[in-house]
Amino acid sequence: MSEERARVEAVMTAFLNEFAPYAGLNLSGASLDDVESKLREVAELKIRHTGKKSPISGAMNLVGKVAPNERAGFGQFVQSVQKDIAAKIDRVEKTLNEIITNAKIESERLDVTLPGRRPRTGHLHPITILRQKIEDIFVSMGYAIEDDREIETDHYNFDALNIPEGHPARESQDTFYTTQGFALRSQTSTVQIRAMERRGVPIRIIAPGKVFRRDTPDMTHVPMFHQIEGLCVDKGITMAHLKGTVTEWLKRLFGEDTVTRFRPSYFPFTEPSAEFDFSCFKCHGTGKFESDRCRPCKGSGWIELGGSGMVHPNVLRAVGVDPTVYSGFAFGFGLERMTALMYSIDDIRHMFENDVRFLEQFK
Amino acid sequence: MNISYNWLKDLIDTDMTADDVAAQLTRVGLAVEGIHPHHDDYVLDIDLTSNRPDCLSHLGVAREITAITNSQLRITNDKGQSLKTEGQTLVTIQDTDLCNRFTARIIRNVKIGPSPQWLVDRLEAIGERPINNVADITNFVMHEHGQPMHSFDLDRLSGGRIIVRKATAGEKITTLDEVERELDATMLAICDVEKPVAICGVIGGLDSSITDSTVNVLLEVAYFKRENIRATSRKLGLATEASYRFERGVDIENIIAASDRATQLICELAGGEADDFVDVYSNKFVANAVTSADISESVKRLTGLSVETGECVRILNALGITASDDNKSFTFPSWRHDIAIEEDLVEEVARHAGYENITNELPPAYGAGEYQRSEPRKKRLRETLADMGFDEAITYSFIDTRHDGVFENVPELLDEQVEDKYITLQDSVIDGALRMRPSILPGLLDAVRLNLNFQRRDLKLFEIGKVFAAHAGEDNLPNEREILTIGVTGGEISEGKAVIVRELDLYDAKGALEAALDAVGVSNADFTAAEVKHLRIGQTAAVWVDGSRVGYIGRLSDEIAAGYKFKQPVYVAEVDLQAILDIATIPIAYRPLSKYPAITRDVSLLGDRNVSFSAIRDAVTEQNFELCRKVSFVDVYEGKGLQENERSITIRLEYRSDERTLIEDEVEALHKEILAHLEQKLAIKPRF
Repeated sequence: MSEERARVEAVMTAFLNEFAPYAGLNLSGASLDDVESKLREVAELKIRHTGKKSPISGAMNLVGKVAPNERAGFGQFVQSVQKDIAAKIDRVEKTLNEIITNAKIESERLDVTLPGRRPRTGHLHPITILRQKIEDIFVSMGYAIEDDREIETDHYNFDALNIPEGHPARESQDTFYTTQGFALRSQTSTVQIRAMERRGVPIRIIAPGKVFRRDTPDMTHVPMFHQIEGLCVDKGITMAHLKGTVTEWLKRLFGEDTVTRFRPSYFPFTEPSAEFDFSCFKCHGTGKFESDRCRPCKGSGWIELGGSGMVHPNVLRAVGVDPTVYSGFAFGFGLERMTALMYSIDDIRHMFENDVRFLEQFK
Repeated sequence: MNISYNWLKDLIDTDMTADDVAAQLTRVGLAVEGIHPHHDDYVLDIDLTSNRPDCLSHLGVAREITAITNSQLRITNDKGQSLKTEGQTLVTIQDTDLCNRFTARIIRNVKIGPSPQWLVDRLEAIGERPINNVADITNFVMHEHGQPMHSFDLDRLSGGRIIVRKATAGEKITTLDEVERELDATMLAICDVEKPVAICGVIGGLDSSITDSTVNVLLEVAYFKRENIRATSRKLGLATEASYRFERGVDIENIIAASDRATQLICELAGGEADDFVDVYSNKFVANAVTSADISESVKRLTGLSVETGECVRILNALGITASDDNKSFTFPSWRHDIAIEEDLVEEVARHAGYENITNELPPAYGAGEYQRSEPRKKRLRETLADMGFDEAITYSFIDTRHDGVFENVPELLDEQVEDKYITLQDSVIDGALRMRPSILPGLLDAVRLNLNFQRRDLKLFEIGKVFAAHAGEDNLPNEREILTIGVTGGEISEGKAVIVRELDLYDAKGALEAALDAVGVSNADFTAAEVKHLRIGQTAAVWVDGSRVGYIGRLSDEIAAGYKFKQPVYVAEVDLQAILDIATIPIAYRPLSKYPAITRDVSLLGDRNVSFSAIRDAVTEQNFELCRKVSFVDVYEGKGLQENERSITIRLEYRSDERTLIEDEVEALHKEILAHLEQKLAIKPRF
C-alpha cells in the first residue's frame, strides 16, 4: 500500500505547491480588484482540486489496489487528505470573501452626522402661537372665541363702552379715524358689545384681534397690535370670579406656582376696575435670575399685564342687559407686550417687520 | 405726580414711614412708581389714573391716607371771610356757563422777593423751581390744595378790573412763556377793560404778571368748565399744570379756602395787606347723591367682599362721601367728579377694604367652549403652509397711498358703486401710510425686500388678515374681508443644507396654494390662464372654486419687481379666504375598493404648446367612458427635436372596471378612440 500512499501524498504535495501562493496570503494594502482576482484564482483552484475530476478524487480509485485489510485505513487516509485540501481552500476563500465584504461595508460607510433630508419647515408668527395657546386654555374653560369688525362706528368703539363724547380717550390723538369718520377699533372691547348683541347673556367669550392706537412706532410702541379681551356675564358674577379666572388661565400658561395681584385702577367700561400683574414666569417672583436682576420683571418679581374690572352698568344697559339682574367681569391685555416679555424681545417693532431671522426662532 | 412725604405729614398725623405710605397708596389705587430721597424728605412718584384729579394735590393724597389709617386731616376749610359780592365792580363774568365761579382778592403793599427756605424746600422737593415769594406761594397752594390760581399786578390791569369773556377771533396775548398767541372765539380769556390779560385756566399774560416792582396784587382763584379748558389747551398746543388740573376737574367748593391760604401766606411772607375780596359764584355746586338700599350687600354682590355697613360708611365718610342717617343715601363731595352711581361707591369701599382680600373663585360651570367656526380650518391651513416651509407674516393694515391701483384686489372687494373705493385715514403715524390696505401684497413684498436686504433670498411667506374697501351700504361701514396672501421666491431649502435644492417656480406657489385650499376642505380649485395687472402675462392664473373666482396666482410683473429691485422672480397669490371658508366642504363619500386590476397607458401627445393640460384632461373626461377612470399628468417636454411652437405632454390614462378584469384588446380599442378624439378636437397626436 505504500506505493498508493505515496501517490496520494504526491497529489497533496502537488496541491500544496499550487496552493502555496495563497496559503500565507498577505493582502494588506491590496485593492478590492486584487482581492477579487485572487478569489477567482482560488475558485479555479477549488474546481481543479476538489471536483470529481480532481487528482484526489482520482486517488479514490486506488482503494481497490490496496490489500483488503488495509482498505479501510487507506480510504480514511484519502478522505482526510481530500478534506484537508477542501478545508485549506475554503479557509482562503472565506478569508477573501470576508475581506471583500468588509471592504464593501467600509466603502459604503455613511457619515451619520450629515443633515437628514427634509424640506425646511416654516414657522407660525409668535402672535399666532400665543393666541392659539390662550384660545385653547379658554375654550377648555368653557369660553367661546369671538371676533368682529376692525373698523368701527363711534357707537361700538366708544359710546356703548361708556366713553362719552368729550372723554379724553376719544380724542383723535389716541384713535385713528377714517375720512368717513369711522374709528379703527382701539380695543377689542368692541367685540363685547357685538357679541352680547348677538348672543345675549349669560355669555363667556374671549375676543382676540387687531387693535390700533396712534402711537408712533418705537422700541416699545407700535400703532397696531393684538389684544385679547375676556368677558363673562351671568347672574351672581363677582370680582372673585374675575380674580379666579385670570389666575387660572395664567397658571395654565405659566405654571401652577403663578400668583396674581390686582390693583385698583380706572377704565371707563368697568367699575370697580383693576389692573392685574402676575408673578414673573422667569424668576418666579423673586426678582432675581441666576443672581442677576431678572429681566422680564425688571427685578420687581411682578409683570404688569392688563386691565380688568366689573362690567360698567352703562355697558350692560347699552346692550339691553339689566345690571340689577346680571353682573359680569371683563379683562384685556396685549399680546405683543406679553410676547416681548416672554422672549426678552427688546424692540417690539420686530413683530411686524417679518424678518425671517426673527420668525424662525418661534416654534 | 410728585408728592412730598414731609408735606403730607403737615396735613395728617401718621407714624407710617415713606415706604409704608407708598405701599398703602398703591394698594388703594394711587400707584407709587418710585420713592426718591430729597434732603430730609422723600418724594413719592404717583401714577394717577385720569379719574382722580382730586389727588393732584397733597390735600387729596392726605385724604386717601385718612381713609386708610382712620385719622383726621389737619386742614379745616375756614369760610369765615365776609364776601363782597353785591354791587361790586371788580369782576364781571360775561360767560357764566364757561366760568362757574371767579374770586378776586386785592392784596396791597407787597414786597416781591425770594421765598423763605422752608417754601423753597417744599417746592424743590417736588421738582418745582422757585421764582419769587408771590409766585411761589400760588404754586405752593396749588400743590397743596389742588387749586390752580394766578396773581396779577393790579396796577398793570387797565381800568383796574376784570372781565371774563370769550376772546374775539384774532385777539392776541403774549403769555408768561414769552410767546405771542392768537386766540379764537371759543377760548375764554380774563381781560382788563382793553385786552386779554390771561387765558382762562391755561396761562397768564406777560404784561400783567408779577415783577420785582409789583406793589398791589390781584389774586384770582376760579373754576372753569373742563371741556372748554381741554379744547383751548389742545388748540394752543399748550398744556400747563393749571390746564391739566382744570380739564380734569378741580374742587369748586375749595376755592375760598385756597384763596385764604394763599392770602394768609402772602401777607405773612411778602408783607401784604388783604383788601377787597370778590366771589362771583353764579353756577352753584349742587351735591349729587345716590341711593343704595344696602351698601354692604352691593359690595358683596359685585366683589364678593364681606364689609359691614359700618365699615363701608366709615370708608366713604373718610373720603368725603357722606351717608344719610339710614345709610341708604350717599352724597358726593365737590372734589369727586368721578362718582355718580352705586358701583362707584362699591369701588371706593372695595379698594380700601383691599382687592387682595377678594378670594380667587372660578365662576360656576357653564356650557362648553367653542372656537370660531372657521378657526379649526384656518389652523390647519396655517400648519399646512408652515409644514411646506412657509413663515407666517403679520404686516401693518395701513399702507402707503403710492400702492393705489397697482395691484388687482381679490374679486368683489372694491364696490363699483362708490367713487372713493379705498378706506383712508385722516392721518397716520407712519409717513404716507394713510390707506387701509385693499391688498396684503404691498406689506408682504416689503417683507420680501427686507429679507433680501439681510441676505435671505429663499423665501416662502404667507399672511392671513383683513383687507378693506369702501362700501355703499345702509350704514356705509367699510367692507372687511379676510384674505390669504402668499409670496414665494428663491430656492427650495433643505433643512441644514447650505445650498438650495432647486429654484422655485410658479408650480411651487401653486402647489402651496392647492395644499392650503385642500387643508380647508377645498380640493376642487380650478386654475385658468388669466391676465392680472400686477402679474406677468403668460404666468398668471385666476383661481376658481365652485364656479366663483376667488383670487389669482402668478409671477410678479417685471415692472413691479423692478420697483422693488427684485433680481429674482417672485411668485404671489392672493385669495379671498372668507369666500373660500364659506363654501361648504364636500362630505367624504366612500367608494368600495375595486377587486380588479387597472391597465395604464402612458402617451406622449405632440401639439401646439398652448394646448393646456386641463384642455386635454377635459377632452378625455367629457367623453364619459366608464372604463377610463383617471387622467393624470406625467411630464412635458419642449425644445430640442420639436418645433418652436410645439410641445409634447405625456399623460397617463387608467382603465379599470369594477365588474371584471379588462382584456388588452378592449382597452386598446378604447384608448385609440380617446386618442382619435384628442387629435380631432385639439390637434394633438401621439409623438411616437
